[in-house]
Amino acid sequence: MSAAAPALKTASAPATVNDTATGARLLVSSLERMGVEVVFGYPGGAIMPIYDALTGTGLKHILVRHEQGAAFAADAYARASGKVGVCMATSGPGATNLITGIANAMMDSVPMVCITGNVPQGVMGTDAFQEIDILGVTLPIVKHSILVRDASEIPAAVEQAFHIAASGRPGPVLIDLPKDVQFATAVAPFGFNLPNETIPLNHDAIAEAERFIRAAERPLIYIGGGVKIAKATEAVRAFAEATGIPAVATLNALGTIATDAPGYLGMLGMHGTRAANEAVQSSDLLIVLGARFDDRATGKLAEFAPHARVVHFDIDASEIGKLRTTHVAVAGELKPGVEALTVRMAAAPLAIDPWVIRCASAAEHHAARYDAPGEGVYAPALLKQLSEAAGDRFVAACDVGQHQMWAAQHCRFSRPEAHITSGGLGAMGFGLPAGLGAKLADPSATVVTIAGDGGFMMNIQELATLKRYGVALKIVLLDNSSLGLVRQWQELFFEENYSEVDLSDNPDFVKVAEAFGIEAFRIDRRDQVEAGLARLLAADGPCLAHVVINPKENVWPLVPPGKSNAEMMEGA
Amino acid sequence: MTMSDTIHIQIDRADGSLQRLIGLVERRGFHIDGMSMADEGPSRRIALTVRGRDAARSIDNLGCQIDRLFGVARIGAPAYQSEAA
Repeated sequence: MSAAAPALKTASAPATVNDTATGARLLVSSLERMGVEVVFGYPGGAIMPIYDALTGTGLKHILVRHEQGAAFAADAYARASGKVGVCMATSGPGATNLITGIANAMMDSVPMVCITGNVPQGVMGTDAFQEIDILGVTLPIVKHSILVRDASEIPAAVEQAFHIAASGRPGPVLIDLPKDVQFATAVAPFGFNLPNETIPLNHDAIAEAERFIRAAERPLIYIGGGVKIAKATEAVRAFAEATGIPAVATLNALGTIATDAPGYLGMLGMHGTRAANEAVQSSDLLIVLGARFDDRATGKLAEFAPHARVVHFDIDASEIGKLRTTHVAVAGELKPGVEALTVRMAAAPLAIDPWVIRCASAAEHHAARYDAPGEGVYAPALLKQLSEAAGDRFVAACDVGQHQMWAAQHCRFSRPEAHITSGGLGAMGFGLPAGLGAKLADPSATVVTIAGDGGFMMNIQELATLKRYGVALKIVLLDNSSLGLVRQWQELFFEENYSEVDLSDNPDFVKVAEAFGIEAFRIDRRDQVEAGLARLLAADGPCLAHVVINPKENVWPLVPPGKSNAEMMEGA
Repeated sequence: MTMSDTIHIQIDRADGSLQRLIGLVERRGFHIDGMSMADEGPSRRIALTVRGRDAARSIDNLGCQIDRLFGVARIGAPAYQSEAA
């Protein structure tokens, strides 16, 4: 949380005063001091001094082929590593190309520091070549931003940016560096040891939460992406196990409870499981952990969980009561809050067996089926097989669309870090650069980009980056020759008026990948899936499986937009 | 017509801080009906009179949103404890 602090607050005086260096050199040494190992970026005129200073340092710079790829890769690097992701770009178009990636990090609370060059201060405000007020442009989509006007302020700005990006509810921070500041020489202090501002644990609220839980007959845990961010996965698992309360998860929380764990009902919301949505609609108490009542999770808000009171744990006080009345608010760090609640709950068991049995039997009754007729590839089955074959080291880096929902519904996730997806922003083009970033963050993981043909084409240039650095990312390209989710909505809600969703003139993706020097092959039929997945996972380097699927396949179940989660549609 | 409220804020002089504050208030669904600002040395004091665009807009939630900004402090809001990192 931020509170006061107009100026830089420090817990102690700067540790060291030294470093007479150029601003560019100060920036690079500051990044090294923050423990940065990998930077994703793309050079240009206004950031050339920094690129000059990069050579010969310990920083590994990954040259992407579009700045959006840098921002998405840095985002996924942060999600996979738990560290702050770093990207950089030049002024003007370089900076504006970062924007979608910055917004993505903001929406999903990902710690990221974005460094942009800018034109010299003397010409700022004159519409100079490649001048954009990137600080102004990005204000709504950053956690914070800093325009550095004096080289001596660079180490402090970097330290502050990393601190803000990673503390409390994380998010992206922009550092904008005019070119004259990069060239200027300064003596700069560093080592500020910035204080964390914390909300004290509210034991009265936790006691109240216990009373509400003990009074409930149909309690339900509603897990959001904040649990993973707070590194509270084990605490939440322990709470669920100690109490036996069934749990549902949002898209960004998949894997927090392992997919096959008892009591876990799957994802709630628009493409959630019937068991999860029925449990929410029947529940008399939602225990909300690090979630924000996103509309894709709640459906029609006024009819969401109509019988439930709400206990809400979140580090961001502004999320509590934002959309849904909260009966017990526990603002603050999730981990100690949930641990304290678990200790209290362990004193006596809950008497909720009828509810637990009802939830479990709904989950069993509505379990997904994989016996679709025909010889064509059934994407949900393929994705389930993929995750099972990849095992506990599996990391899915998803793009956005039908394949993303199928991955969420059908992949097995044993840990939340195994599922990287553009949840809040829903940014097509995320999958390929996200896979790049995740694989660089966790080289021993089996990272698989799961993309559709639409989103894959949006950042296809990053195949060159995979090749350049030999990044052994695996790609499952589910090709239905259309913008499938839009096509599905047109079928269901726009009287089958298929407007601008046909992508049947896609290129030959195997040839495209091979042109980039990447191994690729095609899967057309169901009987090729097992061997195809084995080949993909066994490949030493980057490898693409081009999977042809039925363009008419839809994502089920579905809550129609604007409807209650009680109104789930199923396919024929 | 929704009720108006006045929020008192202390804000630093960093680039973009005024835009950051005003953009947030408007983006979160509030009209700004009045604004006054006074110089306070290293910072500035602002009184913002705001009114929700519809009855669903909560002034308390807007206050929490403002609290999330850096370089901006609501006057009278609770200060959280600081711990050295």
